[in-house]
Amino acid sequence: MLCRWNKLTVSMMKFLVTYRVTDEVEALKAILLDDELNIKANERGEPECIETLVFPSTGEDSQSQYVCVRLVVQLPPGYPDVSPSVNLRNPRGLDEDTVKLIQSDAEAKCKDFVGQPVMFELIELVREHLTHSNLPTGQCAVCLYGFREGDEFTKTECYHHFHSHCLAAHVAAAERYYREEQEKLPQWQQDSTNKFQAICPVCRESINCDVESLWSAPPPIDVETATDFSVTAELRELQRQMAALFLRQQQRGGIIDPEAEGVKMLLRTEDDPAAATEEVSPPGTSLNAFANQAAHTFTQMQHPQAKQTAQQQSEQSNLNQYQPRQSHHNHHGHNNHGHRNRGRGRANYRRHFDRMRQTESTPR
Amino acid sequence: MTALPRRIIKETQRLMQEPVPGISAVPDDTNARYFHVIVTGPEDSPFEGGLFKLELFLPEDYPMSAPKVRFITKIYHPNIDRLGRICLDILKDKWSPALQIRTVLLSIQALLSAPNPDDPLANDVAELWKVNESEAIRNAKEWTRRFAMDN
Repeated sequence: MLCRWNKLTVSMMKFLVTYRVTDEVEALKAILLDDELNIKANERGEPECIETLVFPSTGEDSQSQYVCVRLVVQLPPGYPDVSPSVNLRNPRGLDEDTVKLIQSDAEAKCKDFVGQPVMFELIELVREHLTHSNLPTGQCAVCLYGFREGDEFTKTECYHHFHSHCLAAHVAAAERYYREEQEKLPQWQQDSTNKFQAICPVCRESINCDVESLWSAPPPIDVETATDFSVTAELRELQRQMAALFLRQQQRGGIIDPEAEGVKMLLRTEDDPAAATEEVSPPGTSLNAFANQAAHTFTQMQHPQAKQTAQQQSEQSNLNQYQPRQSHHNHHGHNNHGHRNRGRGRANYRRHFDRMRQTESTPR
Repeated sequence: MTALPRRIIKETQRLMQEPVPGISAVPDDTNARYFHVIVTGPEDSPFEGGLFKLELFLPEDYPMSAPKVRFITKIYHPNIDRLGRICLDILKDKWSPALQIRTVLLSIQALLSAPNPDDPLANDVAELWKVNESEAIRNAKEWTRRFAMDN
């Protein structure tokens, strides 16, 4: 008897609960626009998950909404007598700490509202937070620095933020890359519209922006005031470990030897003299032999005949680059024979990298 | 010496302060754009237990163009050739300035877990990987043991 009574009560309560939830959902629907609300129901038609994209309150002005977040609330069986679980997804313009703060405030709110509908309260709470921090608190993905008062920044259609200056640099570089790649293709493979489409650096959504006006923005404030970097003792220790590992692997024949593998393939055959000289002549190098060689290659690359076929150029630069190092080649080559290289020490390690630096490291 | 972009300085600092497990990248003494890298072979891959040396160079217009990365330690992998060059889209046309040294190296580590013989760079390796995967994996393990283990 007791059991039956229990059962009856439980099913009655269930009915009442469902009724209360349906009521709450109806109220939400009345307040929010259809496209702002996404309600998932279970097979019995009871709402179990409510999703809504929340923006800061800026009146009707959506242009000045710089942040947003998707609020996802799972309604467990027994809600509202059981607290729902709150998730914040796809935060835009919000750093981790801000998202964590909203999350914990939302959870506290849910506890306070056990037994009462909490959805509307949650939306309001998130909205208040967003209104309060309606200046992106994350960092610009291009320069990795934050947004300061006075910084000019751009919000993309996908709600990602960049300093206007940084975004301009990205779009300009991407367009240059696109043009270069197009030129490399045979005519029939080229994009006939020849129209470059900028994409968001973070999510690759298409974006529309006016590079000219973006360029007029000043560089980010934080970048300008950042402190310099110096080599620490910790760094030196890591460098030492790296060098030691290199030597151990070299002794086992585990290091790739580009000379033995066909050195021609590794030589730069860039048509662009600026790019080529940059790579062969990294700033700050103190190694004389290397500097000499870089100068040598520089002349080669500056030569008016720089636009030769890849093959010709490869052979020519092979001659030019490697003649001065012939002796080096002789005693350094074929180091894939295990212990032959034992005991050459750090100088050898250094030479290896000096040489490597000049090589094309990714395939054409 | 041309001033080093702040972004490179910041990345270097973060690499030191919050290192990525299984990855270390250290700038060179004389050239802060050149990094000495070690990537550990991922668990449950034929490269497990290996310490792979790579070199990474940040070109003049980094982060607007991709870093140049190459394996220095020999590795038996269908998407890495004899010279250590890596076939990976984010190093080429899918580069984005939102990627960083750490994300690039993580992607390379992920490539070790998921070889793709259908998009080969090392043709002989890819061929074997397709017709006789177990032998290819044996080779990869053997190369790892011979060249990349540090004991």
